[in-house]
Amino acid sequence: MKRNKLMILLGAGMLLVSSCGKEFLQKLPQGELSEPQVGNKDGVEGALIGAYSILNGNVRDTWGNYSSAPSQWVFGEMPSDNAHKGSELTDQTPMNMIESFTSISTNDNLSTMWQVYFEGVLRCNNTLKLLANDQAGPKEISEERAKEIQGEARMLRAHYNFFLWRVFRNVPIITEAITSTSEAQNVPNDKDILPSIEEDLKFAEANLPSTKVNDEFGRMDKNAAKAYLGKLYLYQKKYAQALTLFNEVMAGKDIVSMPYWNNFDVTKENGPEVVMVSKHAINSNGNAENSNVGDMLSGLYGTSPVGCCGFYQPSIDLANAFQVDANGLPLSTTSYRAKPYLSDLNNPTNTYALDVKLKFDPRLDYTVGRRGVSYLDYGIMPGNAWIRDAKYAGPFVGIKTMIPQTQFSTNAAPGANYLTGLDVNIIRLADVWLMAAECEVEAGNLAKALKLVNDIRNRAATLAPKKTASGVDAADYIVKPYPSFASQDAARNAVRTERRLELALEGHRFFDLVRWGIAKSVIESYSSFEGTYLSSYKGITYSAKNDFWPIPQAEIDRSNGALKQN
Amino acid sequence: MKFHSNPFIPKRLLKNGLLISMGLLAMSSTMASEASIWNKIAMHPLYAMQSPVKGKIINQATQEPIAGATIKIVGKSSSTSSDVSGNFEIDAQPNDVLEISYVGFVSSRFTVTSTSQPVTISLSEDSSNLDEVVVTGYGTQRKKDLTGSVAVVNVTALKSQPAGSAVEALQGRATGIQIVNDGAPGSTPQIRIRGYSTINNNEPLYIIDGVPFEGKLSWLNQNDIESMQVLKDASAASIYGARANNGVVIITTRTGKAGKTNISLDAYAGAGVPNKGAFPKMLTPQQILDIDNEFNGTNLQLQDYLLAGSATNWDVNPAVDADMSKYNYNAKDRASFYQITKANKAGTKWFDELSQTAPIQSYQLAANGGNETSQYAFSGGYLDQKGSLIHTGFRRYNVRTNTQFNAFDKKLRFGENLSYAYTEGYGMGVNPNTAGGYQGEGSVLGFAYRIQNIIPVYDEGGNFAGSFGNNLGNGENPVAMAFRAKDNMNRSNFFFGNAFAEYDIIQGLTFRTNFGLRYENYNGVSYTYPNPEFSEGSFNNGMSEYQGYTTEWTWTNTLNYKPNLGEDHSLNVMVGTEAIKNRNRGIDGSRNGYFIMNSIDYLYLNSGSSNFNNNGSGSIGSMFSIFGKADYAYKDKYLLSVLARRDGSSNFGENNLYGVFPGISGAWRISQEEFAKEAEWLTDLKIRAGYGVTGNQRIPSFQFLNRYLASLTQSSYPINNAVVNGIWQTAYANPDIKWEQVKSLNIGLDFTILNGDFDGSFDWFNKKTTDMLFRVPLPAVSVGRATAPVQNVGDMSNKGFEFSLGYHYGYRQEKPFTLDLSANFSKYKNEVVSLAPTITQVNYGAFRSMETSLLQRGQPFGSFYGYQVAGIYQDDADVQNSPSYEFARPGGLKYADINNNGEIDPGDRTVIGNPHPDFVYSFNVNAAYKNFDLLLFFYGSQGNDLYEATRYFTDFGVFRGQKSVRLLDEWSPTNTGSNIPSLPNPKDDISAMEYATSSYYIQDGSFLKLKNFQLGYNLPTKKIFGENTTFSKFRLYFGVTNLFTITKYEGLDPEVSATPSDYPALGVDFGVYPQARQYTFGLNLGF
Repeated sequence: MKRNKLMILLGAGMLLVSSCGKEFLQKLPQGELSEPQVGNKDGVEGALIGAYSILNGNVRDTWGNYSSAPSQWVFGEMPSDNAHKGSELTDQTPMNMIESFTSISTNDNLSTMWQVYFEGVLRCNNTLKLLANDQAGPKEISEERAKEIQGEARMLRAHYNFFLWRVFRNVPIITEAITSTSEAQNVPNDKDILPSIEEDLKFAEANLPSTKVNDEFGRMDKNAAKAYLGKLYLYQKKYAQALTLFNEVMAGKDIVSMPYWNNFDVTKENGPEVVMVSKHAINSNGNAENSNVGDMLSGLYGTSPVGCCGFYQPSIDLANAFQVDANGLPLSTTSYRAKPYLSDLNNPTNTYALDVKLKFDPRLDYTVGRRGVSYLDYGIMPGNAWIRDAKYAGPFVGIKTMIPQTQFSTNAAPGANYLTGLDVNIIRLADVWLMAAECEVEAGNLAKALKLVNDIRNRAATLAPKKTASGVDAADYIVKPYPSFASQDAARNAVRTERRLELALEGHRFFDLVRWGIAKSVIESYSSFEGTYLSSYKGITYSAKNDFWPIPQAEIDRSNGALKQN
Repeated sequence: MKFHSNPFIPKRLLKNGLLISMGLLAMSSTMASEASIWNKIAMHPLYAMQSPVKGKIINQATQEPIAGATIKIVGKSSSTSSDVSGNFEIDAQPNDVLEISYVGFVSSRFTVTSTSQPVTISLSEDSSNLDEVVVTGYGTQRKKDLTGSVAVVNVTALKSQPAGSAVEALQGRATGIQIVNDGAPGSTPQIRIRGYSTINNNEPLYIIDGVPFEGKLSWLNQNDIESMQVLKDASAASIYGARANNGVVIITTRTGKAGKTNISLDAYAGAGVPNKGAFPKMLTPQQILDIDNEFNGTNLQLQDYLLAGSATNWDVNPAVDADMSKYNYNAKDRASFYQITKANKAGTKWFDELSQTAPIQSYQLAANGGNETSQYAFSGGYLDQKGSLIHTGFRRYNVRTNTQFNAFDKKLRFGENLSYAYTEGYGMGVNPNTAGGYQGEGSVLGFAYRIQNIIPVYDEGGNFAGSFGNNLGNGENPVAMAFRAKDNMNRSNFFFGNAFAEYDIIQGLTFRTNFGLRYENYNGVSYTYPNPEFSEGSFNNGMSEYQGYTTEWTWTNTLNYKPNLGEDHSLNVMVGTEAIKNRNRGIDGSRNGYFIMNSIDYLYLNSGSSNFNNNGSGSIGSMFSIFGKADYAYKDKYLLSVLARRDGSSNFGENNLYGVFPGISGAWRISQEEFAKEAEWLTDLKIRAGYGVTGNQRIPSFQFLNRYLASLTQSSYPINNAVVNGIWQTAYANPDIKWEQVKSLNIGLDFTILNGDFDGSFDWFNKKTTDMLFRVPLPAVSVGRATAPVQNVGDMSNKGFEFSLGYHYGYRQEKPFTLDLSANFSKYKNEVVSLAPTITQVNYGAFRSMETSLLQRGQPFGSFYGYQVAGIYQDDADVQNSPSYEFARPGGLKYADINNNGEIDPGDRTVIGNPHPDFVYSFNVNAAYKNFDLLLFFYGSQGNDLYEATRYFTDFGVFRGQKSVRLLDEWSPTNTGSNIPSLPNPKDDISAMEYATSSYYIQDGSFLKLKNFQLGYNLPTKKIFGENTTFSKFRLYFGVTNLFTITKYEGLDPEVSATPSDYPALGVDFGVYPQARQYTFGLNLGF
């Protein structure tokens, strides 16, 4: 009897043991996808969108992604003669070191830049891997679409790698052929990555459609691939190859008729001047993580309607570079620095009065906000009330990253007017025009270069004058085409100046100075000028090692010795 | 062999352990009768001249006779035992000393004066210790049979300390347990058993009435705890296998007892008084202005106004700008906002403004009783504690029942425990899910360090003043923050209970099944108010709300077999299975743009107009385990215990689904040896040794899978301006993920001497963690910005020893004055033995330009890492001639050039401090004289370093904020001996290196606190209320906690919980919620 009971119990116990087998222990992740669930057409297309999503330099959250901004203001403008970090000296101090070329490898801006763009590379690779699985197996995706997807993913990868190359130069080549985290960890950075960028761009150029896929604006297309490949050649001084591509991009287009300000107008996006853009939007729920987060710190400070951080201020030198002579042509640095316009820097009181007689290229007041001049629809720029510390970073604020007040309700994050849906140009047609002009100059075709530069200047001349509080023009605006180029040097100089003025604060300047080989002379002479008025920029010294930045220390540490410091 | 350790300890015979203890009682009585056989043999004719002493042994408390007590003549071999009526007879001479002993009672001595009169000798019940039954894994053991390292907590002492959480008062109550408390009501203490076994979660596993529980214990009323044991070493804890790495705390709640109904009421009320003097002293506005004047070459007087509309500081024209008719605080935007704020020239004492005298009250009504077949217990309690920081508080309502029944001649026993608690908390630091989780530079306390003190609390219109203005920095008014968060409530409905049944199948074989359930429903709201007075403020308003639940069920089945192997052998075998399944699910949402904010009745999600956010999340997990244990004892002398557990967990993939965790331990009770029995002074002596393996599976789930997320925010892109959802790989897989293991060796010694006048124990341990789960940071080329998988790579070691020593006076002698002194000492040495092969070190604890903490081979976990201050640069020549960094300046910190490369660079960082204490200690005094009792409890920590991170704001030129009075002694060309760096001129380029992580922030965090002082008086109820009073107990007491703290630490409170980071950043102080001195007046009633 007792024995029977015991047996029954033991039996029940055994039953329990066997019934609680592996199935009880096999659970699925909650609210996440695992591999089988993404191994299909939707998974591949989704992964591709995920790859596009890094164009805005942001993985998650809104704060902290400044250095990875698609505008590249931190690396492309701030260290150049165009702009300052802004705000106050003690704010975001690691940026000060970017600006003064004293960065050490632990600077957080470096690791943000590195990590976000490698995230972009990996997303492209993951798209290609998932696509390859589909093509090797179920083939849910048509062969034609598969080619396009590869073209889109490789174009994006080329862009992410190119941004990495510009900032860090010696970057490891990570492709979809790498299958494990440890394999990727061991890739050294001892090879030139430009050939593989070129290969990706060539593939994209060959396989992307001439029109946007499904007419979906924001997608990569053949035109963008051509322009990008041309830009890559230009960086390598392969002028002839570059020019062919630029000419194809420019063919049949009339830039003079394309309104300049449409490039920065949140209501006029997706226009004909867009070649390649990082698209931004406020999500339907008001969330701003797909917005222009990289530029958020440039949001105007103080009593401005934006109410943010007051970073990314134009330099005194940039404002003065818009000075023109009586013929509407740019002044040389020596002449405009001899009699600089300083706004209210030395007289930030009620008694300051704007001198409207000064001769300026009208693009000044579409690039630089200055006291006494109307600013978007915010009213008259009041000077220090919008600036954190003019004695530190000057009396000017930027314009190209701000949107009008009337657009806050639809194109800004609620309560955060510095997070906007404003797209950021990566390549716009005027950029292609001026890159083509460079090629023409180097090829000795000064007449063609002259035409291209004058196209840009003729368009600038059509810009409406900005007004003062009393409704008069804020300056004696004048911009005229060059009658001719006296020499190749003069032409080269004119093209470079035009590039600075037209594309000011759009993330090109520092990289241009480096590829032109004039970074040291330009930056050091700028430092002695700017430092006269703003002591923080005094005494900047530049050497060849400053052409790019140190590889983030943490990445070297984590690479198990594979990565070597620049 | 009987002695007292404490007058308050009730007899701890637990129903759960009844079976085994009954067996033990039976064994003891056979031993006694065996002795009487020897006695008869000893009745030699030679002793015939002795005359018999007759007497009766009775229970002092009940006056009932005790059968089977052993009566022995000291120094002779003769002994006898009492019969059923308690009577005995023994041949003795006058002046012989009789020693009477009985299991469960204090042994007593009686000197024979005359053999003619029968004597009555009363024995008092033993309230402690060696025969005390303690709950270990899936069963009970007598304390004297323990072979592993088990700390038994004096629950009575624990309860005497007012505390929101049951474990808060565990501090210093047992060796090997380090607890860091903070002062928040319902705080979550940081508990470490024998150091840090992992770089991951170090919280112990709780077993409450047999049901495993992980999490905070603020729902549990400490008055409901009947007993608490801590399994410290693996040989004891490995029965809990994969969850036991950090030690196991076994809590048994009060149960019913057969007998008349006992009702008790415990109540106390009191007030916490914040220690305002402990807040670091700051420079006055005048002193700050003096510094500015010197830098700027100005000669300004303190301004009258900070702000009036758009005019600031000295530009304010009082007649024009400070016109209250222009005042408009509740504006919708910056343009129409008009605030008028006067300067507080005397300086606002922000911490004083934030602190308050905090009332506390607690009531608990309990009853228990029952009869032979059913017993019950009930309790209900209420605790309301306000914090010593304004607008913080915690309330708890709890009720608990226990019922037990037996049937079939007690062969079947079943019953339940059920507890429900409703808790609500609000304000900073209250009831966080992880200890210290509230700390940070942006907390209310963090801003008390940062905001300038020239800013008053309120402006001229009675609204909050702030840093909006000119040159007022970016500190936020912490009083405003606290006020605006006053309705941010978190609430929890918490059910925890179990039902069990056990059945004696045959003699000695018992089957037990236990089903435990935890169900918690939690929710909370928080409100965002415009903070226009703040320089980085906003006009946004909004609210967010969350709701969620956690369920976990545990089904345990055990079969326990205890065969009768005769007198010399004792064996107990247990096998069992356990299945656990848990699930969590939560939703949250938030909105901005409310029409009004002045009524929380209006503030629901659907009334918001912008920033619509809705989220959901969840988790799931399961475990299935089989385990077994065998305890064998030979003649109570040689004890051996072996156990093993095999766990399966859904946290691990196919490759390593199961883990096996064995343990073995043995003990030798030397005092039971014949040779030792000669030593009269030696009551008990036991040597123990144990070795075992435990595991840790507390890692984020599904590490063995590649995981993707379709996220509107992280992987979407605007196509044609409409955001399209994409996917990205958020987590990379490690298919080989497996269990973290701790192998631990423990050698210990327990002793009781002089019949319990002294007792103590000593333990030495060596814990080695292997396959430590470590999220090896992978380079971005491997994982981008996704999460790298956890890998099994690290090793960690904890070695240490601990001892406790107690002295007890007055019980044996039945003196009116009794005294207990006890001291605990615990020491461990932690070392990270290895990390991943690719990783020589991990810097973490990132905070602005600092990274405070380090994981590095050969160093203790969480060592402080940074530059070693070598002094102050004295002049330009010093900067030129010494290793320096860019923008180094005279007056700035000079660091040691550790790598000798002539400049100060990241390679010069080194270990600059150790957050682990050399040792922690406690000292407990319990005294009673007649109706008075006194308790003193000291707790201290020695040799731990603290990182006072708040100095980042108060000691350097970072932000315009409050500055420490240390700057009065700053370095200057005339004060070259100072080690305080001078404030830099704000116009100069200042290197961030000046305020990088350095030894400047490090301080000795040693402290000694008088944690608890209590004086009680037992009213003689019978004298006052008459013989027939129903009051059996009427005790009044007065207590003070945190009466004093002795420390050199300059921060607010030297008890600093780890700050949340990638790994816990130990001892980093961003402003901990300080512990107030709490005065309480209490009452214990029994009737």
